[in-house]
Amino acid sequence: MKAPTPILSIRDLSKRFGGVQALSGVTVDIRQNEIASFIGPNGAGKTTIFNMICRIYDPTSGTISFNGKDLLRHRPHHLAGLGIGRTFQNLALFRHGTVVENLLVGMHAHLKSGVLDGALFLGRTAREEAQAREEVERIIEFLEIEEIRNQPVAMLPYGLQKRVELGRALATRPKLLLLDEMVSGMNQEETEDIARFVLDLRDELNMTVIMIEHDMNVVLDISDTVHVLNFGVPIASGTPAEVAGNPTVIEAYLGAAHA
Amino acid sequence: MRTRTYRENYRELTELLPYRSSWNWYALLLAVLVSLPFMVPTYVMTYVTLILIAAVGAVGLNIVTGTAGLISLGHAGFLAIGAYTAGIAISTYGWPIPAAILAAGFVSAAASLLVGVPSLRLKGLYLAITTLAFSIIVVHLINQWEGLTGGSSGMPVGRPDFLGIPMRSPASMFYLTLVIAGLTVLGTLNLLRSRVGRAWAALRDYDTAASMMGINLVRYKLLAFAVSSFITGVAGSLMALNIRYLNTDSFELIVSIEAIAMIIVGGLGSVRGAILGATLITVLPDFSRYVLSLFGGALGSIASGNTAEIKGIIYALVIMLFLRFEPDGLAHQWNRTKRFWSDWPYSRK
Repeated sequence: MKAPTPILSIRDLSKRFGGVQALSGVTVDIRQNEIASFIGPNGAGKTTIFNMICRIYDPTSGTISFNGKDLLRHRPHHLAGLGIGRTFQNLALFRHGTVVENLLVGMHAHLKSGVLDGALFLGRTAREEAQAREEVERIIEFLEIEEIRNQPVAMLPYGLQKRVELGRALATRPKLLLLDEMVSGMNQEETEDIARFVLDLRDELNMTVIMIEHDMNVVLDISDTVHVLNFGVPIASGTPAEVAGNPTVIEAYLGAAHA
Repeated sequence: MRTRTYRENYRELTELLPYRSSWNWYALLLAVLVSLPFMVPTYVMTYVTLILIAAVGAVGLNIVTGTAGLISLGHAGFLAIGAYTAGIAISTYGWPIPAAILAAGFVSAAASLLVGVPSLRLKGLYLAITTLAFSIIVVHLINQWEGLTGGSSGMPVGRPDFLGIPMRSPASMFYLTLVIAGLTVLGTLNLLRSRVGRAWAALRDYDTAASMMGINLVRYKLLAFAVSSFITGVAGSLMALNIRYLNTDSFELIVSIEAIAMIIVGGLGSVRGAILGATLITVLPDFSRYVLSLFGGALGSIASGNTAEIKGIIYALVIMLFLRFEPDGLAHQWNRTKRFWSDWPYSRK
């Protein structure tokens, strides 16, 4: 099942913000169709990696390639078209819209209509909108959010807003999905739902998933590979079992006394 | 209570009006408007023409400020560019009216790119100041460029016949405005429910997330300015045709404030709101003056002598009151009322 060529290849990635070295020398390969997790204490540089993949930041040095293409040559709005989708650590929904409208925005890169098409709303545009609506409906069904589809997202409880954000990322039709602290603040049941969705996305829709996650149960249960960062430095990589038994990791998390 | 609201396919979910019965109401509204010249005295019809022109302008401003969230205090400038473009096209070059209206839109949209470029870097108050400066520069330019615009002595605008239809009467001006307003409203409603409109709302609400959805922020901000200014320029051309004599007094700062008041009162981002707001803000100063004049004496003479001051005070009051008590505007009130009646007798207060 696992293809030999990596879908995402990060080489010697470093990022310096003024005097702060946020990330130094990270080299990671993400294989096709795996679930990979980045873990590490707050400020370890996990979200910085996501933001560089998403082209929000430029790295100070290093390279990122996606399916063999140099990602650093692209701008943020190219990513949806390339097949990279993401959710944000803090909610980043379009808060004036309904669930359906948020998901439709997610389809932006795959629709074509321009100003004149939209204003006239004739054959091709009307067909495109109906097809987009149908695709959105499939995502709604997959995420089991049928009851709230027409509600304004700002009115929804936190866990559901996160789920809508996952839906919006799915609407970009990603091959690679980046989830930034998806289950933080969720209760046990909501967390289990999300874990089930992530497994389904991998198994049924052949997506590759990278998670940044603090919930160790989720990380150890569903990841194929775990990468550990501490103060911007990679300290371990491996299967969940390998990482969980690694003395350096235990030291970083629990302090030297437990190592 | 409204019934039979089930949808059977995805096409029905994307329709402009969700309920069949809504079409009947809009058909009725259209019928009333079309027969208006036969039912009311000329001054009422002329007043409705003014409201419709204001509505076109408000719908235009609402695209960039309400939907895309880019504050413009400079729309009087685009209105002026549209008005003078139409005026010059008709009076100097003898263009037919529809061509002059389109030219007004396009010249205005092109000028908007000048303001659009700083909008890529500026936000909020800074953008407001930049756009304000733009409109002041436009007015100066018009006053200085006498050879083209007639400068401060103004410029007469004719209303040439079009395809043998005489355009001189108030009724033909009313119908022309009604057609343009109808096309503007329909086109904007369609635009806002399709890909481009959603992209504008997305970049207003969360620009980083919007760009992750594949929205090119630079392109869509400029596009919002261009489309908004196109419509405002068209409104300007209608103004020129309506008043038939242009000078820059019609495009002072108060006009931009008036436009902002319309969309705040109506409800930011809502087309219906822009129309309701345009109606209220157009009627309110005249209504207040009328009420003040009823008191006679000192109040009456204040009312007749200080039109501009009264306007300013009213806009300020209305903007503050709406921001405080109904920030979602008249459109929100409309929806609440509509829901009440469509759920009746099962509606909850």
